[in-house]
Amino acid sequence: MSLGYLSTQVLNGLSFGALLFLLASGFTLVFGLMRVVNLAHGAFYLLGGNVAISVTAATGSYLAGLVTAVVVTALVGLVSERLLLRPVRNNELLEVLVTVGLAFVIADLCLWAFGGNPRSVPLPEFLTGSVSLGSVTFPKYRLVLVILAVAIAVGLKLIQSRTRIGTVVRAGVDDRETASSLGIDIERVFTLLFVFGAALAGLAGVAAAGILTMRPGADTEILLFALVVVIIGGLGSIEGAALGSVLIGLIDAFSRLWLPELSYFAVFAPMALILVLRPQGLLGKAV
Amino acid sequence: MRRYSGWAATAVLLALLLIVPAWSQRYVLSLFTLAVITALLAVSVNTLAGEAGLVSMGHAGISASAAYAVAWAVRDQHGLATQLLLALLVTVAVSALYGITAMRTSGLVFLMITLALGVMVYGIALKWSKVTGGQSGLIGIRRPESLLDPWAFYYFCLAILAVTLVALWLFGRSPLGLSFRGIRDSESRMTSLGYATPAIKFAAMMLSGLVAGTAGVLAVWNSQFMSPSAAAFEVSAMAVIIIIIGGVGAPLGPIIGAGLVVGIEHWLSSYVERWPTLLGLLFIAVVILMPRGVAGVLWDRRDGPGSTLPATALLRRSGGVRPTPKPPADAVTPRDLTDVRGHHQKGS
Amino acid sequence: MRMFRSTRRSTRWLAAAAGALMLFATGCAEDAGGGDGDESTVTVGFISPVTGFAAALGTDMKRGWELYWELNGDTVGDVQVQTTYEDDAGDPEVALTKARRLVEQEGVDMVAGPILANTALAVADYVAGQGIPTLQITGADDLTQRAFDPNILRAGYTSSQSNFPAGTWAYDEGHRTAVTLCPDYAFGWESCGGFVSAFTEAGGEITKQLWNPLGTQDFSTYVSQIQRLDPDIVFIGSAGGPDAILFYNAWQDFGAAGIPLVGNCCFADEVFLREVGDKAAGVQSFTYWAAGRESEEVSTFVDAYEERHGEVPSLYAAGSYLMAQITAQTLAETDGTVDDSFIETASGLTFDDSVYGPIRFDDYNNIVGNVYLTEVVEREDGGFWNAPAETFEEQSQFWTMEPEAYLDQPVFSREQTQIQ
Repeated sequence: MSLGYLSTQVLNGLSFGALLFLLASGFTLVFGLMRVVNLAHGAFYLLGGNVAISVTAATGSYLAGLVTAVVVTALVGLVSERLLLRPVRNNELLEVLVTVGLAFVIADLCLWAFGGNPRSVPLPEFLTGSVSLGSVTFPKYRLVLVILAVAIAVGLKLIQSRTRIGTVVRAGVDDRETASSLGIDIERVFTLLFVFGAALAGLAGVAAAGILTMRPGADTEILLFALVVVIIGGLGSIEGAALGSVLIGLIDAFSRLWLPELSYFAVFAPMALILVLRPQGLLGKAV
Repeated sequence: MRRYSGWAATAVLLALLLIVPAWSQRYVLSLFTLAVITALLAVSVNTLAGEAGLVSMGHAGISASAAYAVAWAVRDQHGLATQLLLALLVTVAVSALYGITAMRTSGLVFLMITLALGVMVYGIALKWSKVTGGQSGLIGIRRPESLLDPWAFYYFCLAILAVTLVALWLFGRSPLGLSFRGIRDSESRMTSLGYATPAIKFAAMMLSGLVAGTAGVLAVWNSQFMSPSAAAFEVSAMAVIIIIIGGVGAPLGPIIGAGLVVGIEHWLSSYVERWPTLLGLLFIAVVILMPRGVAGVLWDRRDGPGSTLPATALLRRSGGVRPTPKPPADAVTPRDLTDVRGHHQKGS
Repeated sequence: MRMFRSTRRSTRWLAAAAGALMLFATGCAEDAGGGDGDESTVTVGFISPVTGFAAALGTDMKRGWELYWELNGDTVGDVQVQTTYEDDAGDPEVALTKARRLVEQEGVDMVAGPILANTALAVADYVAGQGIPTLQITGADDLTQRAFDPNILRAGYTSSQSNFPAGTWAYDEGHRTAVTLCPDYAFGWESCGGFVSAFTEAGGEITKQLWNPLGTQDFSTYVSQIQRLDPDIVFIGSAGGPDAILFYNAWQDFGAAGIPLVGNCCFADEVFLREVGDKAAGVQSFTYWAAGRESEEVSTFVDAYEERHGEVPSLYAAGSYLMAQITAQTLAETDGTVDDSFIETASGLTFDDSVYGPIRFDDYNNIVGNVYLTEVVEREDGGFWNAPAETFEEQSQFWTMEPEAYLDQPVFSREQTQIQ
């Protein structure tokens, strides 16, 4: 097996991992800070991707598609949080179930609005074509995905550790009563976070629409990957999501190459193993 | 008066289940059969949630595994005993896998892990086509000769459901059953009292898994084919929604919940094209407006046979990543365990 | 727990409403079933997935079926054809329950659909036992082979049928080595089975058979492998839709276009063309549905469909249109009666031309007809469709073999894609 071939596979795995990170980061953020398991996260992803495709087709501008998609998913996130999640706040099970219902509704409305055909977004000129590095040819867009994911990861980490918002968010979660007594409006912080998570899912949808397709069922398929990534990496941890994404991306690519017969166990086995040996995930805080 | 309304509702429910199918067409009978089998799966989720406070979103993975086992055995021309033995082995193995991976977690983390496991089973069923037939599934499965008549099969399923409910009710009064509730009410208290809580959770998962496996066997006997959609996330989520509608912990809640969900789903999908949207909205409405479920309305909390636990009593504590907050001041001590139900009502 | 108290009233209302809904549902159930025995109408139960992951196929099917009756009127002789539509959501359990409802509650005279192999087989198993005439377009080989039932007619081709000529053709074109990539379940095994059997019989060598699990997101691994194996030709046996699009995008991204590629019926289907567009120009496949074929039957259907829905009709729409046509012609032969001999009569029909070209049915109620080597070409208006480049006539599901000898073979599986 040549080095060039091997490095192609590594890059394949990394680019899929990058996509998973975009999706998983929003999921883990909302879970880690709000303790909401948002099972509509995959539906937000589907919505984002579909809106981007339609707007890009209508206006001819990829940028317009991208911006509209992120704004629309953020708005849907806002309405969902205010209208549906707030009435059941502080009850984790009911929150999850509301997001399950929401996922059904959004996915079915996507089918109604965008049809059942698999669709992907036409990429602008500067994102298409391939880059050659020695003997390795690699699609430009996949490299862009990796760069985007790294940028988002660094950005999230900085926001969390360096900004006032980050401090507020951490305070709000660690001790709600103290936070309220300090005059921090926890409800508002939570709304903001949920909207941000939804927007990230929308962005992941737009990014995925460049290499994958948006179609009925794509939401739950990708949500599973995000879930596994987050469980492996450690719930609520951005670094964990990053590590989990890279691992799952690579495992997915290489298992199909080396163990085609067992590729369906390949993603599952590390999750089970990690849960037994380290239930909190690779980078999760101890229980 | 409420004391009697609970028993009355139970009697009506029983009469409905026993009498209506006897005079109905096969289609109505098939809906009743489906509802009873769905109820059994919900009972298995309900046991774990109501007794041990663990909400699983992946139980379809267990029932589907058992169903695949029966399907393989039937296609390999094995007799009833081999079919059931294989189903039992697979159920135990898969439940153990669920138990081992999830026993050290609780709350939302438990929910997410079981969800992931359930979807994994679905993925394997879909992709390991050499064994499962993949998307095309396995056809040509026949249930045992003596149950071929659809009416006989319906009453058989109903009997299994009844036996399961009685067995679980008796179990709930055994020492192990009481320790399940101890975990539900305060895991940290149980741990500090020296109970091996992971082992208890594992046992709870195995018990619940056996019920789910039974539901799986009945399901494959009912449809007489097997396909990955039996393990789909929607099936697992539906079971949880059913117990919410029926009232968490209410022994008869799953039957009411399953009846409503199966009925509404099949009725809506025949008349409304956008039925998944409507069904989703209905779920959200139920969760927001009636977290104690329909059973909570029909049965008095204290007296009837269908005593429920408000869903609000579940998962209100955090489990998993963050340190568990102090148990509520009125948490149950093991000495109170026998009176756990009455104790809970104080809070509501 | 305050929440509970404040919502108790609404809770009761909801419970009452839900109960009423159930009663209403049962009430509806009792009322229906009167369609039975009415001499002047024939009722058809039409099952297709219009929600869920296969919604695109189901919607196309429904449109094709509706279009036929719209163009030709819904009365045949003096009977009126009424259709009751049901959604199976792509789930066999649901499909079976819906079939029961249609037959037992609605009292339909015949059933059409569904499309996915698992739902179709589940429904076939049930309706065959009820003696209800059923038309299907699913590809599952065994439906008209080892699981043959006299009450079922397939208004389409088996999954392997159109790929036998592909294998022979590939060899005749001078290709000696081939790699196949098919989805890893019955449809893929059967599609590959057709190509592999004919290609090896002719003398070619299959260097590798790749199987992609259903729902594969990232095809780049397979593309890299094919590039490395560098065969004379690649055969893609896709079930169409997302798999084909994802594969082809990766194929183009990695610049593998240098290796000749040929697809099965469903690789370059209309769903694929809508999405991939001009990048697909020149893609060759072996299929029985060619929207660009010059024929009155095809243009009547395609033009009317495009006018209504703004897109080229897919294989599923065409198949459903043909199902409706077969229903109408059979009813004309039987003077509007639907009984045990309905499918036998249908099977005796021959069409000098249809959306699939000239067709007749074999003794197992499956089409014997044309298979086309198609090429994706641009139309005058800038759209794309498949136009036939070569025609292979009188193709049977049993290839060139006698049915009995063919049926002695096991159905194609992952382990056996070659006829011994």
